[in-house]
Amino acid sequence: MNIELSILLPAFLAGLLVLATHIPFGMRVLQRGVIFADLAVAQIAGLGVIFAELLGLLEQPVLVQLIAAASALAGAALLAWIERRAPEVKEAYIGLTFVLAACLGVLLMSRDVHAGEHLKDLLVGQILWVNQSQLIATALLTAALLVVWNLFRERLGYFGFYALFALAITASVQLVGIYLVFASLIVPALATWRQTKQRYFFAFAVGITGYALGLLASVWFDLPAGASIVWAMMLSGLFLPALTSRH
Amino acid sequence: MKKIPYIISLLLLSSAAHALNIFACEPEWAALAQQLAGSKADIYTATAALQDPHRIEARPSLIAKARRADLVVCTGAELEMAWLPVVLRESGNSKVQPGGDGYFEAASAVRMLEVPTRLDRGDGDVHAQGNPHIQTDARNFLPVAAALAQRLMQLDPANKAAYQQNLAAFEQQWRAALARWEKQAASLKGVAVVVQHRGFPYLSNWLGLKEVATLEPKPGLEPSAGWLSQVQDTLRQHPAKMVLRAAYQDGRPSEWISQRAHIAAVELPYTVGGSDGARDLFGLFDDTIARLLKGVQ
Repeated sequence: MNIELSILLPAFLAGLLVLATHIPFGMRVLQRGVIFADLAVAQIAGLGVIFAELLGLLEQPVLVQLIAAASALAGAALLAWIERRAPEVKEAYIGLTFVLAACLGVLLMSRDVHAGEHLKDLLVGQILWVNQSQLIATALLTAALLVVWNLFRERLGYFGFYALFALAITASVQLVGIYLVFASLIVPALATWRQTKQRYFFAFAVGITGYALGLLASVWFDLPAGASIVWAMMLSGLFLPALTSRH
Repeated sequence: MKKIPYIISLLLLSSAAHALNIFACEPEWAALAQQLAGSKADIYTATAALQDPHRIEARPSLIAKARRADLVVCTGAELEMAWLPVVLRESGNSKVQPGGDGYFEAASAVRMLEVPTRLDRGDGDVHAQGNPHIQTDARNFLPVAAALAQRLMQLDPANKAAYQQNLAAFEQQWRAALARWEKQAASLKGVAVVVQHRGFPYLSNWLGLKEVATLEPKPGLEPSAGWLSQVQDTLRQHPAKMVLRAAYQDGRPSEWISQRAHIAAVELPYTVGGSDGARDLFGLFDDTIARLLKGVQ
């Protein structure tokens, strides 16, 4: 059992870090009806990394992260502009942004083949491979984002919110991959949509149960970890609120 | 007007200077074709060293190159299964279709390892004809070179003598290099290693490395936590010296086990162009062995 804990614990901690920012952001994203913003932002961050590769800068990991974050912030500015200028059709624009960024990536990568492998790595971070330095860096970023979020919240404005969101997504996608990022944003927020009391408590319960059960299922049934967590979270999202509402 | 016959003869001469258009699927076969054909061929390489040869997209430029090709040189054994059949079909070039004289599979010249007795796609990326990553055993280049030279002579009989000469020169240099590499790598015999994916059976077979565990048994699919705990268990009983991966692969799985088991993570060039040292076939194995020896220290 000891051996398994040493594998599961870092992955579980990564999940908790992702949930810490993604649950409040997910509730906001759901309320504003911009649920695909995370895909668009992640794709734009990936685009930044392709540019970095084309400029020959991939040797310095810190620089790559800065470029990814800067691109994500530029994406945030674009999303904020979209939401202000075209609120009725923002979802269409956000979806289009995702497709355009993804296709620009394909076009650029046809010139530089290694960037393709790199982009894949960036978007499909695998939760079992997280290491200590990644966890520490993400913990620091998460703490900073939560401080800013709790201090300003409603006063952040369009760009302020998207900027925090973009930085959180850029880190989490590399940590756990795009599927888990999407699930962590949407499942807890959606499962507790009608909850008025203690919504945060139930949302975290859904998210944490999902990560815990998913990781255990990955051990017991020999299944890929990321995909089992997504399903475990969805199932706990279905059952947990139902169980509690009876009381 | 007087110049026209001159221009025509020049055109004829320049096309004669490049008798063969060769379409190589992987950089190692482009390099080998270069050794054997020299200036007698125009060689195009379809995949780059830092690209996974299992998975590339069929682009119009690939189809255009295949259309003009006289000879397609690939690994075969289903390595290029995802894209080559489409490229060849769309090329409409009857010379280079599988089974034809213009289609050469390196894998058919060597003894294959890991040939499954029972075929089950559920086991992941299983190849019916065995593991296709034959280029990691330097000895395999001798039979492939002989077969490829034979094919070149058949397609371009006018230059037969040149191909024969190039083959003889290559074989001599390669045998000398093989002796050198095997001497350098003598201390690697019996060394236990972890591999990130099942890409090194030929290398291990050649140098006598002992593969004790595979991190990603199903390529492209993340492993389960249960599998990784088995790997850690195995490493406790049979400690390994290093973990091997190909240059085109993500470093995270290697780093993960490297930190936990305190073993060296070794990135191997895997093909020509996979590292700064691997500029040609000789550099490929010089660099591979240098990196392995460094990992053992």
